[in-house]
Amino acid sequence: MLNCKQASLLASRAMDEKLPYWKNSLLKLHLLLCRSCANFTRQMAFLREASRRYGNSRDLRLTGDARKRILNALKRHEIDEQP
Amino acid sequence: MTTMNDGLNTQTWLDEHGDYLFSYALLRVKDTHVAEDLVQETLLAAVTARNTFSNQSTVRTWLTGILKHKLIDHFRRQGREIVIADLIDQNEDDHLDRFFEANGRWIEKPEAFPDPESAFQQKQFWKVFQDCLSGLKPRQAEVFLAKEIHGMSNEEICKHFSLNPTNVWVLMHRARLSLHKCLKIHWID
Repeated sequence: MLNCKQASLLASRAMDEKLPYWKNSLLKLHLLLCRSCANFTRQMAFLREASRRYGNSRDLRLTGDARKRILNALKRHEIDEQP
Repeated sequence: MTTMNDGLNTQTWLDEHGDYLFSYALLRVKDTHVAEDLVQETLLAAVTARNTFSNQSTVRTWLTGILKHKLIDHFRRQGREIVIADLIDQNEDDHLDRFFEANGRWIEKPEAFPDPESAFQQKQFWKVFQDCLSGLKPRQAEVFLAKEIHGMSNEEICKHFSLNPTNVWVLMHRARLSLHKCLKIHWID
């Protein structure tokens, strides 16, 4: 049997890749019996959805203005650097 | 994402890595304008130093390395002592015994969070979320950001951070545990 530390690590890994068959079976069994780990698994999905939305929000991306400014600085810089 | 040998076409750096560098800087400095300036400084320095780029690393890894130095300069200017180890800590002393008993049981049992959709509607939630991300250990933050926000695959992450798959599983697990705990403390309770 897995303990919660092992199960939560496997559950986290399962978010990112397919687990080997027997590990997946052990995890499924644990999650069936352990409400805490089942809750944690749902919360990892919640974190993923929050991250996705956060990443798509404007907060975490360069604005069009900032992009333009940086691009201009790069162009000026490259011209200056030419021999 | 292009990783290997996407050449030294400096024009594409901003398109391909600008958002990544920006989000990395923003979580460290928590100021949009400062983060934008740091991205600019990083790219300018990269153009100047482009001959030092070695094909052993990916462009993104190389640019992130330059950004880290820019961040350290920035913190120094602010009079904050920060050493490069604070940004690159390789072996983080973050034991799982913050979360689990010696027998592997939860110290604090995860409970069901209230309705996620209503959280997403609240400005306060996003503020807390950003603070929790900023509060992660640097290595965890980087890997979590790369994976969950920039959609890099485990394979790309291994290459970018020179990690093996087990490291990535462990870092992601810790990042998720820490974020979960932070949200519980600062948002739920």
